[in-house]
Order: sequence, then C-alpha cells, then structure tokens
Amino acid sequence: MQNAKDSFYMALRTRLAAIDPQRAILLRGAVRPGILVEEAEAPFSQLPSDVFVLRWLGLGVDVDLGSAMAAEQAEILYATCGTQRFGGLDRGRMLSAMDEELMSMMQPFHTPKLNYLATPPAALLTQVFWDEPSFAPVSVQRDRLSRSATVTVYSYQEQGE
Amino acid sequence: MAANWWVAPAPVTRRVRAYFAPVNRATQTPVLFDAATQGTSFCLDAPPVPWIGLGWIEDFNRQPLSKTAAVQTGIPAAALQQVRETLGAQVSLQFLSWTKLTMALATGSQHMNLLAPASGAAAAADGAQAAAAVVVQSGSTATSIVLAAADAAPFGAGQIVAVDVDNTGQTGFVGSPVAGAYLRSALSDVDYVRRVTFNLAPVAQVTAAGLTLAAALPGGVPVNGMKLQTVRGFVDREGGSFYQEWSALFVVEGSQGERIFFHYPRLQSMSSAQESSLPLSGKQQNRLERVLLKGQFLALPVSDPLDGERVVCYRSFLPAANALV
Repeated sequence: MQNAKDSFYMALRTRLAAIDPQRAILLRGAVRPGILVEEAEAPFSQLPSDVFVLRWLGLGVDVDLGSAMAAEQAEILYATCGTQRFGGLDRGRMLSAMDEELMSMMQPFHTPKLNYLATPPAALLTQVFWDEPSFAPVSVQRDRLSRSATVTVYSYQEQGE
Repeated sequence: MAANWWVAPAPVTRRVRAYFAPVNRATQTPVLFDAATQGTSFCLDAPPVPWIGLGWIEDFNRQPLSKTAAVQTGIPAAALQQVRETLGAQVSLQFLSWTKLTMALATGSQHMNLLAPASGAAAAADGAQAAAAVVVQSGSTATSIVLAAADAAPFGAGQIVAVDVDNTGQTGFVGSPVAGAYLRSALSDVDYVRRVTFNLAPVAQVTAAGLTLAAALPGGVPVNGMKLQTVRGFVDREGGSFYQEWSALFVVEGSQGERIFFHYPRLQSMSSAQESSLPLSGKQQNRLERVLLKGQFLALPVSDPLDGERVVCYRSFLPAANALV
C-alpha cells in the first residue's frame, strides 16, 4: 500500500510542477513543488499557506478478488491569505486558483504504481487510480481561507508487496 | 519486489464512450472495427476516420434477444442439442451531449437541419423556405470552403453551415456521407438534401476567400456541385418511416488500461425521440436538471466473412499489461 501512496503523491507532485512551477516550498533546505505529505514531515503547528498538504486517512481492503484491492482515503488541504501585493484582498482568487490546480493535478485519474524504495524507482505492474475529489466548504479564519478535498485512491496488491 | 504477472480482477471503469461511423445504406455496408489492429491505438479523444465521437453515455444496457431451443429426443425426452431459433439484440443508452449526431441517432425518424429562412418566408414546422444556397467553389477542403467574395460576406464566425448537393428530384437514400433520409418519390424542395444532411461544421473564421471551419466536414472534401447554407438548429418529428442506421462502437476503458469494445456493425434507431432528466444535485430535486437524450437501438445482422455466420455484435477485450488471462 505504501507504493500506492507514494505513487499517488509523486504523480500529483510531478503534475503540479508542470501546471504551476511557481508554486513551490522551501523545505529542509530544498525548494520543492508545493505539495507535501503531512506524515512524512515534522509536525506543523499550522499548515503552511499556498501549498497543498496531503494527509492519509481511512483504509479499506477487499481481499475477495484475484488481487486484493486497497482503498485509501486521502485528504488534500490547502490555505491562502492572498498576496502581500494586494493586501490579501486577492485571497479568494488565490484559493480559486488552487482549486483549479488541484482539479488539474487529479487528471488523468490514474498513474503507474512504482516502488520508490528502489533507486531509480522500479515500475510495478498495475496502475493506481482514484475517483473525483470531493471538495469541502471554505473555512475562514480571520484573513486565512482554507479548504480540503478528499479522494479515495485505489490500488491492487501485487506479488511481493 | 516486482513480479512479472498479476491476477486482474474485473475491470473498473468510469463511463462508456460511444463512436459512430456511417453505414452505406444503399449497399448495407457497415464500417467494421478490428480490435486486433485498432484496439490499442484507438485514441478515445481523436478516433480514427471514419469513426466520430459521440461523447460519454450513461445507462448503457445491452440486451440479447437471441433465443435458443433444445432439440428433444428419447422417452422421456431429453435435450440432445441446442439450436438458435432467433438472432437479435437491443442496445439502450443515454447520451450526455446534444449534437446533430446524438439527436439524430436518438430519434426514430429523419433528423433535419433548420436552414436559415429566406426573408419574408412563410413559417413551416420543418423550417421555412431557406435563403438561397451559395456555391462551393473548387479548391475547397474539409476544413476550408472557398466561396465567391459576395457569397462569403453574409456569413459569420460561430454559425453552423450545411454542405451538400441540391435536390434535383432524386429518389432513394440522400445525404453525404450519412444517409439522412430515404425519398420514395421526388420532392420539389431544392434544399431538401441540405435539410437532412449530416455534412455540417461550425464556422471559425470568414474571409473574402471563403470560410474556415472549426471542425472538418464529416463528408471530407466537398464534391463538385455542392452548395452551402446556414443552419439555425435542428428538428425531428414523431412519425415518418425512416430509421437511422449506424455502425456503433462502445468503448469501456478499465483502470488498468484494459479495454472492452462492443462493436455493432449495424444499429437502427427503434424508438421515437425521448428525453430524461438528471438533477444536477441530489439535494436539489426538481430544480436544475440536465436533459439527456435517450436512445434505443435494434442490432441488425451482418455475415461474418470468417465463417459465414450471421452475427449482430462483436465483443472484444484487450487485457491489461502483464495481467494473467
């Protein structure tokens, strides 16, 4: 299942870098595309703004198949205060831009499954796939707008995983 | 870590896509789909000629109508063997888009273009007498129509145009490249063929030299003698004796790249125009609704040249890579 989680994250990260190269984050001394996995970073007191944070939640498994299927629920959180240039008055527009980027990142709704423990990553045999994201209402905290989207990520367990 | 095979469960898919190809009605020649040569390379967003995408469909339902019977023998009688008594199949679906093709296929009669009317023409249910057609000049292509400068001037970007020949009293199947109607007797309306033709495209740009089309004409390069008229919309009727027929291909793409093709070489509309409504939001019943075109079709047989068997449908499956079969 970790391979599916890694593959999903790397697919979004690669797509985001192509969709909006300017959306980046300086993390542990490196500039990276603006999406991170919450469970793979040090705990945050407050989630960073203007980047996407991937959080893994529920898990379901269907073993009554030729290959067991895992269904992992992912939550993608993002927030913005707008830009200093416009005094934060563009925070609604910035959030809409992130909504659109997330929809673009999600498509196509599948990606090859890779094993990222290997260097270079080793291609496995199946595809990781997911359904359309479900967007939650905007949450307002003073001048900070935030939203989350949930999506179920499906994958088949392969031999050796 | 990686194995070289895996056991693929049943395909998981989002929706079904439909594709159309014209049947030569005069010779009853359908367009055949070869999954071995075209299956993997068939681009769902840009299908190869002559296939035309009809978009996503919903409630795709295949219903076999073939009946078998047992040949009984002995006392007491027991089945000796089976025979196929009748051959048939029906397909029903809902189109998620309204286009000339989907409207036409989802009605059990001829489907007509509402040609732009002539000034002062009397109203008619099928569209008033049309404004005069303009002659398509030589040098035109499927996406570029050469017109005399005076003829091009009245057209504008965004309009839809129909390109086909005059009705000169011909009978039989008319319309290019899709038979849009069958004329049992000669009609006097010179624009009748352009009323029923499927050879339409939207105009992207107008110049003094003619029109640039936003999409290629289904009939390809206009032939000598074709004329062009503006289309305002479409109309079909409850009644009539003409049945639309098409070669149909339905594609189901699975999550692992596997593909299922349902190929009906000959499908005829078998129900009159029907619509269904789909609420945009489950929480807002009886408010905003999407209107879908419902279609029901009867599969007609073809003779398979492989062994001479009469069949109505081919189902092909291309497994996912490295999946055990």
